[in-house]
Amino acid sequence: MQAVRAEGLTKRFGNLTAVDGVTFSVREGEIFGFLGPNGAGKTTTINMLITLLRPTAGEAWVAGHSVLREPREVRRRIGVVFQDPSLDRDLTGRENLVLHGLAYGMGREEIRGRISELLEFVELTPFADRQVKTYSGGMVRRLEIARALVHDPDILFLDEPTLGLDPQTRARIWDYISRLRREEGTTIFMTTHYMDEAEALCDRVAIIDHGRIVALGPPEELKASLGSDVVYVEGEGDLEALGRSVVDAGLAADFSLSGGELRLRVRSASAAIPRILELASALGIRVGEVTYRRPSLGDVFLHLTGRRLRDEEASPPRPLRGVRRRFS
Amino acid sequence: MSFLRSIWVMYWRQLLRFWRLKSRVLGSVITPVIWLVFFGMGWSSLFNSPMASKLFGGLDYITFLAPGILMMSVFTASFVSGVSVILDKERGFMKELLVAPASRAGSIVGRSLGDATTAIVQGLLILALSLPLASGIKLGGIPLAAVSAFLVGLTFSGVGIFLALRIRSMEGFQVIMNLIMLPLLFLSGAFFPIDGLPGWMKVLSLVNPMTYGVDLARWSLVGVSSFGPGLDLAVLGAVAALSLFIAAFCYERATLE
Repeated sequence: MQAVRAEGLTKRFGNLTAVDGVTFSVREGEIFGFLGPNGAGKTTTINMLITLLRPTAGEAWVAGHSVLREPREVRRRIGVVFQDPSLDRDLTGRENLVLHGLAYGMGREEIRGRISELLEFVELTPFADRQVKTYSGGMVRRLEIARALVHDPDILFLDEPTLGLDPQTRARIWDYISRLRREEGTTIFMTTHYMDEAEALCDRVAIIDHGRIVALGPPEELKASLGSDVVYVEGEGDLEALGRSVVDAGLAADFSLSGGELRLRVRSASAAIPRILELASALGIRVGEVTYRRPSLGDVFLHLTGRRLRDEEASPPRPLRGVRRRFS
Repeated sequence: MSFLRSIWVMYWRQLLRFWRLKSRVLGSVITPVIWLVFFGMGWSSLFNSPMASKLFGGLDYITFLAPGILMMSVFTASFVSGVSVILDKERGFMKELLVAPASRAGSIVGRSLGDATTAIVQGLLILALSLPLASGIKLGGIPLAAVSAFLVGLTFSGVGIFLALRIRSMEGFQVIMNLIMLPLLFLSGAFFPIDGLPGWMKVLSLVNPMTYGVDLARWSLVGVSSFGPGLDLAVLGAVAALSLFIAAFCYERATLE
């Protein structure tokens, strides 16, 4: 059975089409990611799936129930961690969890056992009886993850689970997410605009832009579709001419220029770079820096949309090798 | 089943919050006490002729005022906690409530019941503090006064919830406070008898549910009434039920839009 199925799901707010006919399905037991820039429609999609927004058109089924016709059946089977805090800050961590369990129809005994287990899981046991307003941002997020799990949901929805968190907390939350899937078999639907997060956690990723899914598949497959390596050349001179001649020489599948940087998709960077440098000097280009890496989901996004995943980034990345990490 | 459970969960939550915020609650008791002491004793010392005493049903002014102040604190407390739905919206807790499989109508009823209960606690605290000042209060009337406080609490918590579901910001809340709460208080007979008011004001007083709450509390605590307890109870019961129904209806349809 599919955990989530959406068909032509659409949401319009006045003139703005936030989500534009998305169709996808999430398999049971997988971690499925919605990757896209801010404003791409990720949160709106989640809100429709968790029955808090009515779709303008289309339909979705979550845990086998229609979000339109059986919202309460859906609510019973899902856990949600919202993008913004949603705890009662005046109550203690434990009280927040108990209230949640009661609201989902659990008995006191059952709640007590489940809560102590979950507080251990998110490492908050020593802080359980403090008011939430004394918690740090990371503790709030961890408590919210615990709360979403109190009633043992079939599907966990996470909306930007590590937004605004420090690197250590981020790593912890990644660990919780993969452990949940591994140990409990929970299906996880998450949104993120961090490509490294999607790559590290997700079995399959839907890349979403302007309310539409532009690509869908396992991260490895999406990246493989770009060729094997990406070479970045920065320098003074006609980089576009360089790009053309590299492609003409059969060294690269294609090229693109953004932010004064030439980007080339090549089969093997180590073989291609010396030849690229020769071509550059022949064209009188003073090369400042050459870097390469294996393509990331960010490159896939750039390739499909012509824009970087995070438009607010003024300067392009200059990584040396391997996976780039960006914490903010 | 889900309905009763939701009532209980929200009721419990409102009481828990009340307990966690008890220092704030003590602060909210100060205002009514200031009214009682300064406003009450001030006028009491002027209204000490037999003529004046006749205006207040044979009571001295502070005894007349005490049940009014009790209802004022109940009214304020329940209204403010009803409107605190805005706070839940701003802090995101509302989303946690909306995504739960619980009955929404039940959760609103539970919330109002909780608000009314905490309002009674505050009211009784005020009443205890006014006992040394207002000599004529009959202790035997306290249970019925509590019933009146409960119904007024339910009514205005419901009104507060209804308004809060429509207001987007705390600024809007301030406007509402001034535009609705003060007139309702002044037109309720809490501070002066409504019998001698100009016609238009009297009409407004008669459609104000608070008026019947004050009247019932005054009847039970000091034995003075304009309408009689039967009418008071009937009006309060009906208005409380209506208010809850409307609040629940609006909440049932709430989404994030």
